[in-house]
Amino acid sequence: MNSPVQIWRQHKTLHNYLNKIGKLLVWTKILVAPQGFENQVPYLVGIVQLTEGEKLPVQIVDCDEKDLKPNQKVQVVIRKIGKARSEDVIEYGVKVKSI
Amino acid sequence: MKILVKGVGLTKFGELWDKSLFDLSLQAATEAIQDANLSAKNIEAVFVANMIHGKLANQDLLGAAIASLFNIKGASFRVEGACASGGLAVHLAIQSLLAGTYKNVLVVGAEKMTDVTISEITSALMGAGSEAERKAGLTFPGLYALMAKTHMQKFGTTRNHLAAVSVKNHYHASLNEKAQFPFEITEEKALNSPEICMPFTLFDASPITDGAGAVILSSENTPRRRALTPSRWTAGDVYITGSAVATDTVGLAERESLVEIPATKQAAKMAVKQAGIEIADIDIAEVHDCFTIAEILAMEDLGFCEKGEGGKFIVQGTTKLGGRLPINTSGGLKACGHPVAATGLKQIIEITQQLRGSAGKRQVKDAKIGLTHNVGGSGATVVVHVLQT
Repeated sequence: MNSPVQIWRQHKTLHNYLNKIGKLLVWTKILVAPQGFENQVPYLVGIVQLTEGEKLPVQIVDCDEKDLKPNQKVQVVIRKIGKARSEDVIEYGVKVKSI
Repeated sequence: MKILVKGVGLTKFGELWDKSLFDLSLQAATEAIQDANLSAKNIEAVFVANMIHGKLANQDLLGAAIASLFNIKGASFRVEGACASGGLAVHLAIQSLLAGTYKNVLVVGAEKMTDVTISEITSALMGAGSEAERKAGLTFPGLYALMAKTHMQKFGTTRNHLAAVSVKNHYHASLNEKAQFPFEITEEKALNSPEICMPFTLFDASPITDGAGAVILSSENTPRRRALTPSRWTAGDVYITGSAVATDTVGLAERESLVEIPATKQAAKMAVKQAGIEIADIDIAEVHDCFTIAEILAMEDLGFCEKGEGGKFIVQGTTKLGGRLPINTSGGLKACGHPVAATGLKQIIEITQQLRGSAGKRQVKDAKIGLTHNVGGSGATVVVHVLQT
């Protein structure tokens, strides 16, 4: 778990990605998760290329795996990352949803 | 370059719950020092490869901690390069010998991974990923699964090709008493094992392993055979003649391609050039098969076969013991086990034993030139060594 200061610093740039459009290059399904992600299993992750060219590793949300296809159009959303303990700062980050 | 591999030592790999990191290091290093026919007082520097003991067991300063087991008062270093820590420590030790700073050094690679839960070790290993990968909940099976899927889509590589890597390496491990999984498996078993991360099943992944390996490297020109009693002479002394490291981005998504590891190409090119050989001269290799796709990528990027042909190359049997170019005769990371920082040492030890002619049931006939290939992260650090007898 990152410290509150690290989370605060990282949150300052999240808005740069919000609502950006891209395409899903490749994805997989995680069945064994790292700490903080155990309650999300199974979940989809992939590599997305934004229209501007930047490539990002991201979770794919709000969709069924069977509906995904290569070069699927996606949009960046801001969502909660992992699971914070009750006394922790809740961490947010970028994910994508198919559109 | 001509650095003598003067002694080697390796523990059993596996779930070694009754052994600590220090027990394992002591065992491997003692064996290496005895094999070199030296005593600890001859060791001028100690290089310790380790990735995660500080994180999991709260013990840092491992250079001094391991050196003090032998009351060595010279220089000591801890080297970290994720799963390439072992190869990286060997590379740095060689540089110190070439610089003339030391003449005899001990390199130890050790990892204790089975004391914690699977989610704890998965998180600890993701220290070798990028921050964006950690925030996406990615894991190393996930990263290599993305590479495998892309390779399958682009080149028609199949699940059967991936399974062939696992079947071959389990066969090799069945001949290796130090291996974590010294038994054979069938293709059917590999294909039908539980899915861990699409398209991987359990038998596509290397395991969580405890273990240690150690080597004594020397710049002295006294051949090992002269230093030993005749009863301990082996077929020939083994020298490291090429040692190169290459680097790439830590994040997989930042790279141009998902179907190659450019640092492998770069490190191999440099190491082979240093050794004054061609890649076609290699008789045997230990490559970094942390996942089955990684062995396929390694064979392609090292130049053993064309890009995209790795799957078919495996199925032909060329890389099985008895084939033209045996790969991972130890059982590889897949079946010998993968105590991350010990892996680079184990690769050097396996090739040394093969070139000495002391590999027992898995001996490759007339092997003269061997190569090791050790990868950190998803390809951010690659170390390649060439060994010759």
